[in-house]
Amino acid sequence: MKESLKSKKIIIHGILIIGSLAMLLPFIWMIITSLKNLTESTQVPPTIIPRQFKFSNYKDVWDLLPFGRFYLNTILMLIFRILGSVFFSAMAAYAFARIKFPGKNFFFMIVLIQMMIPGQLFIIPQYNIVSKLGLLNTISALVIPGIVSAFGTFLLRQFFIGIPNELEEAAILDGCNRWQIFWKIMMPLTRSGLIALGIFTALFAWKDLMWPLIVNVSIDKMPLSSGLASLQGQYSTNFPQLMAGSMIAIWPMLLLFIIFQRQFIEGIASTGSKS
Amino acid sequence: MVIERNTRKVTKGVKKTNRKNLSDYGWAYLMIAPTILGLIVLNIWPLIQTCYLSFTKTSGFGKNQWVGLDNYIRMFSDSSVMHAVINTLEYTVISVPVGVIISLFIAVLLNSKIKGKTIYRTIYFLPMVSAPAAIAMVWRWLYSSDYGLFNYLLSLVGISGVKWLTDPNIALISVIVVGIWSTIGYNMVILLAGLQEIPKSFYEAADIDGAGPIRQFFAITFPLVSPTMFFVVVTTMISSLQVFDYIFMMIDKTNIAMEKTQSLVYLFYKYSFITNDKGYGSAIVMLLLIIILIITVVQLKLQKKWVHYQ
Amino acid sequence: MKKSIKKFISIIAATVAVSTLVVGCGGTNSTGGGAKGDVTLTYAIWDKNQKPGMEAIAAAFHEKNPNITVNVEVTPWDQYWTKLDAGASSGTLPDVFWMHSSNFLKYANGDALMDITDKLKNSSDVNLDNFPKDLVDLYTAKGKNYAIPKDYDTIALWYNKTMFDAKGIPYPDGTWDWNKLLEVAQKLNDPANGVYGFLSPVDTQQNYYDFIYQNGGEVLSEDKKKSGYDKPETKEAMQFAVDFSQKYKVSPTVQQFADTSRDQYFESGKGAMAFFGSWMVSEFKANEYVAKNCDVAILPFGKKKATMYNGLGNAVSAKTKNPDAAWKFLEFMGTKEANAIQAEKAAAIPAFKGTEQAWIDNNKQFNVKVYPQMLEYAHIFPNSETRSKWDPLETQIFSKMWSGDISVEDGCNQMAKEMNDLLATEQ
Repeated sequence: MKESLKSKKIIIHGILIIGSLAMLLPFIWMIITSLKNLTESTQVPPTIIPRQFKFSNYKDVWDLLPFGRFYLNTILMLIFRILGSVFFSAMAAYAFARIKFPGKNFFFMIVLIQMMIPGQLFIIPQYNIVSKLGLLNTISALVIPGIVSAFGTFLLRQFFIGIPNELEEAAILDGCNRWQIFWKIMMPLTRSGLIALGIFTALFAWKDLMWPLIVNVSIDKMPLSSGLASLQGQYSTNFPQLMAGSMIAIWPMLLLFIIFQRQFIEGIASTGSKS
Repeated sequence: MVIERNTRKVTKGVKKTNRKNLSDYGWAYLMIAPTILGLIVLNIWPLIQTCYLSFTKTSGFGKNQWVGLDNYIRMFSDSSVMHAVINTLEYTVISVPVGVIISLFIAVLLNSKIKGKTIYRTIYFLPMVSAPAAIAMVWRWLYSSDYGLFNYLLSLVGISGVKWLTDPNIALISVIVVGIWSTIGYNMVILLAGLQEIPKSFYEAADIDGAGPIRQFFAITFPLVSPTMFFVVVTTMISSLQVFDYIFMMIDKTNIAMEKTQSLVYLFYKYSFITNDKGYGSAIVMLLLIIILIITVVQLKLQKKWVHYQ
Repeated sequence: MKKSIKKFISIIAATVAVSTLVVGCGGTNSTGGGAKGDVTLTYAIWDKNQKPGMEAIAAAFHEKNPNITVNVEVTPWDQYWTKLDAGASSGTLPDVFWMHSSNFLKYANGDALMDITDKLKNSSDVNLDNFPKDLVDLYTAKGKNYAIPKDYDTIALWYNKTMFDAKGIPYPDGTWDWNKLLEVAQKLNDPANGVYGFLSPVDTQQNYYDFIYQNGGEVLSEDKKKSGYDKPETKEAMQFAVDFSQKYKVSPTVQQFADTSRDQYFESGKGAMAFFGSWMVSEFKANEYVAKNCDVAILPFGKKKATMYNGLGNAVSAKTKNPDAAWKFLEFMGTKEANAIQAEKAAAIPAFKGTEQAWIDNNKQFNVKVYPQMLEYAHIFPNSETRSKWDPLETQIFSKMWSGDISVEDGCNQMAKEMNDLLATEQ
């Protein structure tokens, strides 16, 4: 019994390690490129180990761009987007999952339809809205498209559906109204789902390049993604600097993930009392 | 006696339902209001505008001329659009099942009792935070026919010069691989969240009953994670049908494999932003939307067959 | 029940309150500054390498006009046009911005640009005779001027000195014709080491357009009503460009170019010669390999001498809130002084005749004087209202021609037909 458990674990580790190598490849490439000089970075065939380690790329790009400002703008954008989308999506998701009301399917179709539309369609109309509100070149402009989330509503609806009915029925008998049930019972039970949504909202916002680029033009209003893009020239890009900058920009997201994925592990503790 | 008791229950039920219903409706509308309003203003309205544009011929900024179904007629006789439909469907049909199954497999492994889970999860998450430019550079190098790693490894076993990205018959598959690779971390995070919701006590009970891991997977894991799976399948399918970024980044405009690789969103982008033909681009995206709508509705209907709701 | 509603409302209220805070501390005044009469203009460009030059011009302007400040904003090329498109649709274009010939007509005909014809006629600072006539015409639509030329670029022959030295072949000296080009390419071709004699990709300005005009052919008729692709001279030139990879095997194939760009081949010492535009000079300067091993010469000629030339223009938004200030800035940019600053600092050859010397001096490591030298027989980039629609067709059809899927004869005929159909729709 113990023997087969051990070999099972070895196989699992084996598979995971091979997969990890595949996942790590671009990340390793980013690091390698960030240490090359410009000429070497465009060579064919590409070199795996830089001929000379140019650590100065990091200092250069740090001096060149106001990273402090970028971090601040990014964090503000993320906080508001996460607050908005998690809160509004959870509310709507609960209603869709647990309450019967007229027009439910119609409204849910609106949620689904948003997800089916390619994002490129929204750019110019949303730009028009933001400019009419006089909010071009502001932090608010960065937040607006992400303040509600169809994706989040759909995701959390699935989580709410997965929660046993008995808990809710008990609460109703106790005299709780819908809001109380939502806030006091449902939300704590879908902690994993809320955290997952928070991570995704942060990720989509952090990665989004086209929107911040067209809506905010001053360098001090840019988040990390578009701030880094200013390293791109028309015909040539300083790839080593761009990679160094991307490495500097990665840490907020990684930290966010590492901290919150510990919450994943603890997720069970609060749902233990399900039955 | 029994009949009496039942009737009493029913009457009580009806009274309660009325009051409860109104309060329920009130809360429901209140709770969906911010999201629905936001979606209508930010997303549905642009959709309606695009739908309108698809019936016009656009020139300049805002000077649109109504042409009725012209764009649609042109679209159905345009071979590159028809190819794009096939490319897009091919991309989806392959990448969704393969990608979701791999993601579920990894998620299950990372949910089990092994050491180093945190490290593995972070590693699998890394592609999602890597710079898109880096991802494109790496894969283009891997696939490069003259200087790439894959062809180098193949040459060691005597296979020479596969044109991964420039052979019209292979290019789409190469892009699919990158697509699947990039969504594993994403789906893994969602599936992990879903797996975490399954009480460990169920597994403990199954262990006591003597059920093996495979049996446990099909009896416990799969049914209980199926609502999350459903979400993953639907969203992965929708985003596969919308594939654009990787084609844009890895297939050069002069690549002769373009015709057999470009997707509907790529064509939308080309016509709306490059050739200044917003009307035609809008018609193409409406076609895509209808395809996505049909597929999603079919999935919604089918969910009763395999998704386990409590 | 009441408690819950209260809680619900208070949460929403809190969110709104915080959002207003963010809005409040976020808004900026883009035009209309602090003190009375003070104006701030936005000047949009896409090349970060030229930012110092543009800022120097803005500073010189500010000295002459202390109540006008110009903010230079850079948006990378790929997103610049989407942003401009969005701006034009919503009436929020920057005050002054760069224009490129490929997109010019869309904006001019779409009434997004200020008509500066009369202003130019009455201007004492700007005289259009100082700029190459074709360039001025490039930025007119229906007989009216909408932009002032900013710079120009031509195409020249770059070569790898080291490879020439190794085989004892004399460098190109402006006397070469097509036969000589091919002959040397074959001598320098080294398949065993993955080195190609002449890099010939599917590229308009930096490749086949030059061959077409050198052979007496044309892409577009002078009156812009007919395509030039069905002319025998044009087809001959296209055949020549295609043969480098197909017949003589001295160039990578179109498939190889889709994997590795021509720039990469040249910068890695895998290509002996290639045509590159003057805008590549700053990239080549920064590339150690090219700086050390390569140089530039006058293009070879066919039946006649020809090179393509193109240039950017500066334009003002039709809906700017500061038309007078914006025009003043535009005017300043058309003076000799501003162009001289450009030559000194920026990576482009200024459009004002006679100001190129500073640019040449700034790039001494290469023989860049050949670029302005070729202006006298340069042919302006062919442009028409529907270019944005037939340009992608060129890429599509000619890629198949380059790969041998269709013949040069068929490809050119097909392109001519498609192009003529589109040209017929123009007004």
